[in-house]
Amino acid sequence: MIVNSDVKIAINNVTKVFGANSNLVVALEDFSLNIPNNKFTTIVGPSGCGKSTLLYLLGGFDKPTAGEILMDGKPIAVPGPDRGFVFQDFALFPWKTVIGNVMFGLLHNGYNKKEAKEIAMDYISLVNLNGFEHAYPHTLSGGMKQRVGIARALAYRPEVLLMDEPFGSLDAQNRKNMQRELVKVWEKLKKTVVFVTHSVIEAAYLSDIIVVMTARPGKVKGIIEANIPRPRDYIGDDYLAVRKQVLLLLEEEVQKEISQNRHGPL
Amino acid sequence: MIFPDKINSNRVGTLRVPTKLFAAVQFLFPFLVLGSLWEVLIRLGLVNATLLPAPSMLMQELYELFFRKQALQHHLYHSLYRLLLGYLLAVMVGVMMGTVLALSKVVRQMFSVTLSLLISIPTIAWIPVLLITLGLGDKTVITAIFLGGVFEITYSTVAGMRSVDRQLTNAARIMGATRWDLFFKVLLPGSLVSIMPSLRLSVGYCWRALVGGEMLSAMIKWGLGKMIYEARFWNDVKVMLVGLAAIGILGVVLDRLFLKTLEQATLEKWGMLVER
Repeated sequence: MIVNSDVKIAINNVTKVFGANSNLVVALEDFSLNIPNNKFTTIVGPSGCGKSTLLYLLGGFDKPTAGEILMDGKPIAVPGPDRGFVFQDFALFPWKTVIGNVMFGLLHNGYNKKEAKEIAMDYISLVNLNGFEHAYPHTLSGGMKQRVGIARALAYRPEVLLMDEPFGSLDAQNRKNMQRELVKVWEKLKKTVVFVTHSVIEAAYLSDIIVVMTARPGKVKGIIEANIPRPRDYIGDDYLAVRKQVLLLLEEEVQKEISQNRHGPL
Repeated sequence: MIFPDKINSNRVGTLRVPTKLFAAVQFLFPFLVLGSLWEVLIRLGLVNATLLPAPSMLMQELYELFFRKQALQHHLYHSLYRLLLGYLLAVMVGVMMGTVLALSKVVRQMFSVTLSLLISIPTIAWIPVLLITLGLGDKTVITAIFLGGVFEITYSTVAGMRSVDRQLTNAARIMGATRWDLFFKVLLPGSLVSIMPSLRLSVGYCWRALVGGEMLSAMIKWGLGKMIYEARFWNDVKVMLVGLAAIGILGVVLDRLFLKTLEQATLEKWGMLVER
């Protein structure tokens, strides 16, 4: 297999099946996709299409039933610090302070305490949490928690950042703020990002490349490139055009998903 | 600061009472009411004082036992030393066994029924067995205390480790945590949600085992359980009640001084305390 130098992660014919015997759920079937290097790629799809499953496979938390996932030509088998992961429910360690959480990855990757502290402080200010470094997560709001989540995932400088509906549990206003800030952070770092969401608005606002998935079992429905300069304007014509393109692709699948469920066991 | 007096005081009718005083009154109120009722009943001759001595008589007995005979402190010392030894042993072994059971599915499936079986045997039922195998002294009592706490702690450790959010272990793994780190930095602190309350609960179980063990072990001379048990030869209800009160008070002190403080320094600080 030839590795294109612009491809960071190659997902080749991946199938993922959950359950056993009569209760099989095919989350992904023969799914192939190339994730480009140093681009912001977003995966959108109707709920239950397997987009989060895909991200967990990229994280190495789970193994594909069939097919392979290559990062720089090498198969992804286990979780490792060449990747960073931002969880939907934050997954911060409640027994560690903000700085303790951000230092976690650094301390496990060869930095001593002093270095880890300095780098952690840089990333804490990158996500605008100065002054909160000694706060415990339970004292923070949802938006602030996810800022910690992002700082924690970036601090040890992984090559790829995987984000699983990171703003899904935030209210609309907070969500918009976080989108704006994520764009700022990304423009500074220009890292390979794989971002999963079901929000078309979010996808069109953030991404270079938008991958629309079909209803379950998930396949690639279409890929849209959004070559719009950042920061984008939520009411700009080019942004709205991308949104429309994504929506058109997605709408069909959402309808399919709804009718599937209507005839399903419920 | 808005209305500072409102923050540091409670209203009783139209009176403002400082919070600390209010708490003290709240704390003492049940003792004062029940104590005076009890005292009055006996002073009026409605209850036989040899069967149920009045609080004032108990105070006097406490003074006798502590300052004149200087016996109470010896009893306390021996009981506390046994309790701490048995309890700490139970905590260490319980957490270790619980960890093994939580981490290995094979071991867990092998021993889960055994654990349920052991946890349902009242500790006091072990004591006759221990008296024969370990003798009539300290070993039996300490082992009984150990057995009183160990299964509860094992059980809660298993439950705690298994309840740790999968995402937290995933987060640690992707950041490069080794298995060792995963255990000490994620699973162990994460399982404190379940272990901490059981540490508080199992002290109570250990006390029960202690008192039973001291009563039944013939070679034991000192200990609160022994003191209570021996007092029946003299029909001395006063000594018994002083013993009961000492056990109760010590229980509260141990819980508030050590275990609750430990809980505040961990679960409460981390926002992980589940209100029960």
